[in-house]
Amino acid sequence: MEGTETLNIHIISRLSAQTSMRVLTFGWEFPPQKNGGLGVACHELTKELLQDGVEVIFVLPKTQETIGDARFLFADDERLVKVLHADVSLLPYMQGDSTIDVIVGYDSEGKPIIRSRTIIEEAHRFAHQAAIIAKTEEFDVIHAHDWTSYLAGVAAKIASGKPLILHVHATSYDQAAGNNVDPAIYKIEKESFAMADKVVTVSEFTKNIVVNKHHAPAQNVEVVYNGCHMNETAKLPPTLAELKRQGKKIVLYHGRISIQKGVDHFIRAARRVVDVDPDVVFIVSGSGDMLTQVIEQVGAAKLSNNVKFAGALWDEERDRMYQAADLMVMPSVSEPFGLVPLEALQHGTSSLVTKQSGVAEVLTHALKVDFWDVDEMANQILASLRYPAVRRQMVAEGREQMRSMSWKVAAQKMQQLYRSLLQFVTS
Amino acid sequence: MLTVCPYFHVHQPYRVKKYRVFDIGNDTEYFNDSSETDLNNRRIIEKVANKSYRPTNKILKELLDTHPEFRFNLSFSGTVLDQFEAYAPDVLESFQELVATGRVEILADTYHHSLAFFYSVPEFKRQVQKHERRIKQLFGVKPRVFRNTELSYRNDLAKWCEDNGYLGIMSEGWEKYLGWRSPNYVYRPAGCSKIKVLLKNYKLSDDIAFRFGNKEWVDYPLNADTYANWIHAHHGDGQTVNLFMDYESFGEHQWEDTGIFDFLRILPEMVLRHPDTGFKTATETVEAYEATGEYDVPDILTWADTDRDLTAWIGNDIQRDAIEATYKMEEMVMKTRKRDIIENWRKLQTSDHFYYMCTKWSNDGDVHAYFSPYQSPYEAYIAFMNALGDLQLRVSQVAMERELKQQASEINKKAEQTNYPDVTKPPDEKATHEAPEPQSTQEPEPEPRREGWWGKLINKVPFFKSPRQQRTSS
Repeated sequence: MEGTETLNIHIISRLSAQTSMRVLTFGWEFPPQKNGGLGVACHELTKELLQDGVEVIFVLPKTQETIGDARFLFADDERLVKVLHADVSLLPYMQGDSTIDVIVGYDSEGKPIIRSRTIIEEAHRFAHQAAIIAKTEEFDVIHAHDWTSYLAGVAAKIASGKPLILHVHATSYDQAAGNNVDPAIYKIEKESFAMADKVVTVSEFTKNIVVNKHHAPAQNVEVVYNGCHMNETAKLPPTLAELKRQGKKIVLYHGRISIQKGVDHFIRAARRVVDVDPDVVFIVSGSGDMLTQVIEQVGAAKLSNNVKFAGALWDEERDRMYQAADLMVMPSVSEPFGLVPLEALQHGTSSLVTKQSGVAEVLTHALKVDFWDVDEMANQILASLRYPAVRRQMVAEGREQMRSMSWKVAAQKMQQLYRSLLQFVTS
Repeated sequence: MLTVCPYFHVHQPYRVKKYRVFDIGNDTEYFNDSSETDLNNRRIIEKVANKSYRPTNKILKELLDTHPEFRFNLSFSGTVLDQFEAYAPDVLESFQELVATGRVEILADTYHHSLAFFYSVPEFKRQVQKHERRIKQLFGVKPRVFRNTELSYRNDLAKWCEDNGYLGIMSEGWEKYLGWRSPNYVYRPAGCSKIKVLLKNYKLSDDIAFRFGNKEWVDYPLNADTYANWIHAHHGDGQTVNLFMDYESFGEHQWEDTGIFDFLRILPEMVLRHPDTGFKTATETVEAYEATGEYDVPDILTWADTDRDLTAWIGNDIQRDAIEATYKMEEMVMKTRKRDIIENWRKLQTSDHFYYMCTKWSNDGDVHAYFSPYQSPYEAYIAFMNALGDLQLRVSQVAMERELKQQASEINKKAEQTNYPDVTKPPDEKATHEAPEPQSTQEPEPEPRREGWWGKLINKVPFFKSPRQQRTSS
């Protein structure tokens, strides 16, 4: 990317109270594609912004199906660049040197030419196209979600001179759980934060990482908590009925199986729990790079009868599991926000979360432990299973609390930030 | 004539340590936290003694010495007296010196600062009697005016107090029940004919207890001169101004840097400056004034929060679950006749445990969060229920041992017609206390936790019936 270009700061915003604001947004994934919470957050925030009259131009790295009313641009569009159709999802949770297969063109017979690229190469490609888009589109402010879009945001800022907001949904520190932070990703984060007019994090927990590890000035970092929906959910056909009939209690883990998510601590706590109460069954729902290791750990701990692997569950299957569970555990070592306990609450299931999570800052009605305190995690799991009143109350009051965590509030906070940056430019 | 009736409530609970599920069956010490947190009861007593009890008692003693007209009331929970005795005997002595002047009255109370009246009147009565014995032993006086935990009050409580010989009882002066009437008179509880009720003037009381150090308050900073004028303003429309508050308002809730001690030091002089103003103890007040009307409180009234009810203690599911589980054990606990079991059970009745489980997070909730030593209401509940679970196990254990002994003695009787002593006769409290299980000096062996039966037993509490190796052998 052309990092040497000087910033054009003589921009006078066209914005007034009457005219609507236009935001050029860069994201990496978007529903209905099934990835992590990032796509959901982008969609919900966009939806609320549109309702408030903000125009959103949403740029995605490759052509995909989308939902909602934003105007979508795809960075692999023939109009903008010659080739490039990715045939797999570009998961932002991958390490920087993970490779993905990308269609780079077509041969004379029309067959796709597939090359391996690293995700960082893809991020750079995205940035290159972002600069082209930024020169052709009209907009007031740039908003880039997650590290794979930071370079695109920075490129768009350099190309257009418009203010840039980087939205941190996760950091390299979270994904590495503090160890072996990917230096290439860290470099992109740190340099991009330095270029941003504002950095938005989804929790104080993440703000602390961005300030302490990436040395972003604290006054430049704003916390905008994710929202959620408190939908009344239908009672689905029960799952695990046989286990329940046998009087087993179900403790659920749902999420990726990676070092960040602390599943290994969860299994150690399971050992402590089963020592006291052999009638507890732990369901691990999800997949990831630590799956084999966790399966081996379960075997070594002689927990095969008490820990079941359900694979990655989505939609109704996942919801049925939420409804079957007596308790949901989110054992994350480092979780910028963590929507899973809120999803569980929608299905009437209470949660134990780690204090190393953003959701712990906004959800009062959950059990909270330090991720490393396996004994206390086991104690709270056992206690909550023994004393059902505590689970009932966390569900009743937690659901009440969720009603105040709307995406509308998040969108309003974002608009305030947009405006504050525009005022800065015009003055 | 206008008199002021100050009353300071002294209380500290035995906070339950972070008692885990794994401790059930292995640890009968629920209150011995020794960490650097606010769960460490000794540490709290030492801290509050330095911040509040010692400096405040010094000032109160000076005031009694300087002003022969000055008098006030104190109430103590038994749990705070026990902790003074153990951790700060000099504080206890300084209270004894105050009472020895004859101008400091001690009020009747429940020993364990409990809400027993609303759950079990027999247990309530036992706690009041135990409290009375303790006050007699430490201070040589017999309380004649009653105050209940958190100033909780209801018509039937007043009736109980009347039937048990008390001259007066204290309550909140709340508009819902007072209507247009003033709290600055003495009233007759509905359904009673002799006893009188003293009503807290919450406006003037809370000016000191809650608002004194609040910089946002329009009357901040409050000086004793102004405050005495507010009291004097009631000349002509009242007989007694009842200032009821936590003793710990002085130095602990309102820190020294708010000027609270200087305020206290000068207040009696300012009050007495007005010629027709004096101080009275609670008994003197109820004896001096006739009841001017009836105070009819059919539902529980307390001095807490904006609702003046018990919702901060029993307002949510976990609080009700915990308190109901506690009182459900009464019969089984009393049957054991084991002093340590009964005492542990009573310590768990202290209202503070349920207060820590409060989830009212509005304006009221902030106050609760400040006063809780736990990181969350759920943590408080879990520690409490685990401790209660262990107590249930001990109770079942005793019942089971009794049963086995009885069976054995019956078999013996049938087998041999000899004159063995009757072991089925229940031993008295003292005897069992002094003669605990015989091999108790031996260290119990580590619990064989990994066995399946163990987890199953744990989950069968409270009506645990199966034999348990550890406890029978230790």
